[in-house]
Amino acid sequence: MPQPPAPRDPRAVVFARARARAGIVPPYLLLRIAAAEEYYDVAAEAARRSLLRDEPMRELRLGGAHPGLLPHEHTRSTTEREGAATGAGAATEAAAPTDAERVPEAGTAEPVLAEPAPDRRVSDAEGAESLPGRLARVEGQPATGDAAVDQAYDGLGEVWALFERVYGRDAIDGEGSPLEATVHFGDRYDNAFWDGERMVFGDGDGEVFRGFTQSLSVIGHELAHGVTEMTARLRYRDQSGALNEHVSDVFGALTEQYAMGQDADAATWLIGEGIFTELVQGRALRSMLEPGTAYDDDVLGRDPQPAHLRDYIVTDADNGGVHLNSGIPNRAFALAAVEVGGFAWEHVGRVWYDTLTGGTLRPNDGFAVFATATLAAARDRYGEGSREVRAVANGWDAVGVEPE
Amino acid sequence: MEVEVSRSGGLAGLRLTWTVEVEDQPDPEEWVLLVERLPWSETPPAPPEPDRYTYRIRCEPHEATLAERQVTGPWRDLVDRVRDVAEPSRGRPNADGRAAPSRAPGPVTETDAPPAE
Ligand SMILES: [Zn+2]
Repeated sequence: MPQPPAPRDPRAVVFARARARAGIVPPYLLLRIAAAEEYYDVAAEAARRSLLRDEPMRELRLGGAHPGLLPHEHTRSTTEREGAATGAGAATEAAAPTDAERVPEAGTAEPVLAEPAPDRRVSDAEGAESLPGRLARVEGQPATGDAAVDQAYDGLGEVWALFERVYGRDAIDGEGSPLEATVHFGDRYDNAFWDGERMVFGDGDGEVFRGFTQSLSVIGHELAHGVTEMTARLRYRDQSGALNEHVSDVFGALTEQYAMGQDADAATWLIGEGIFTELVQGRALRSMLEPGTAYDDDVLGRDPQPAHLRDYIVTDADNGGVHLNSGIPNRAFALAAVEVGGFAWEHVGRVWYDTLTGGTLRPNDGFAVFATATLAAARDRYGEGSREVRAVANGWDAVGVEPE
Repeated sequence: MEVEVSRSGGLAGLRLTWTVEVEDQPDPEEWVLLVERLPWSETPPAPPEPDRYTYRIRCEPHEATLAERQVTGPWRDLVDRVRDVAEPSRGRPNADGRAAPSRAPGPVTETDAPPAE
């Protein structure tokens, strides 16, 4: 379906420029510059391309701009752009060997290096509830024009970039397995989930929710469930379940911050920004920094997330409140990241990644054991008495979790 | 006879509860038949899938908790019927797992939904 040219959120452009200049421009100034920039102009495009040359994919997605549908793609084909953006250089045939689907553009890209590249496969359930659905776009293929397909494809590339470029983890299993997603699941289906093999996204009912591929943090959240399943295997119930949810929120938020070049101060710390319709009084599903403040709506009620252990919600529903009590560790993480400052994926994010993959966590571990593990990971990486260790300790302290 | 379907979980962690007073329905006999045919005692616990819904279905004296993946066949028929005739009420879960009443987005079936605060 044809889309009008999508005006980019000018803030995104300016953030990208600021990152190119090592992030020295204060945010208030960025916003003033941004106000003067109506559209994604040629200069910005040039700046973006230069960023992409040696930086991970930074498709600066705010306000529903889809990289695959952007104007100003006059210099390079979509396939080349995707390849360059993800560091693939190309080699799509090699990456997706035996699929029945041919990759029409594969021949136009020249294989360069055997660098890790994502292997994305997006399917379309076409409104049914059966999985996986019809294969709609595989690695290297150009944008389809279906917004959900293309958003999922681009989003998976961004999550892949965070894990591979920053943490050296190639895909969910660390061995470059395919990243699989299904979109258009169900009829006005109000959810997104991880089924153990793939990410699944509904279109939303149009009244409360828009499509769930609109939010990069949601895509990162779902993929991170796969990483947790492959690593710490936190049991999806009660405190360990809330930690499982928390880890997904962490890497969901970091995906967005990394893609947009946002430091901890500039970050929204919101999960699922932009997936509520305009009828809903709310910014997002959750706020990591200020749990309980993401929405306050006549119909939905108020964001019920606790921000402190004393407000922990005991319930049978939602696997023991996993989406509620995740607010507690979420706030600890966000506070620590803000205290350290700079890019959260580089420090506190790394500590959390080390914790998740370090092999010390057990599936039933709760908040206190997890907090202890993050402190140990921070010490291992940054040393006793480092500001990272202090910030992590302060974060847990602020939410009432005492490491064991 | 009252049928209550409560859906929790999901990425958003929002809880919805639909309640139907069977006697108020134009076809109460069909409802009774449907409820009696449900395999109430054959719902093995399913491993949770992250962000998927959990359904709790009640009709005294029966109660079953089902993963979304298990809501098929007659269970799905029931859930679809309930959703067709009742507007959901929303609310945060309490300690006993029942939804606290809150304002519903449309007309509420009044049987089990006290007015909002
Ligand atoms: Zn989740």
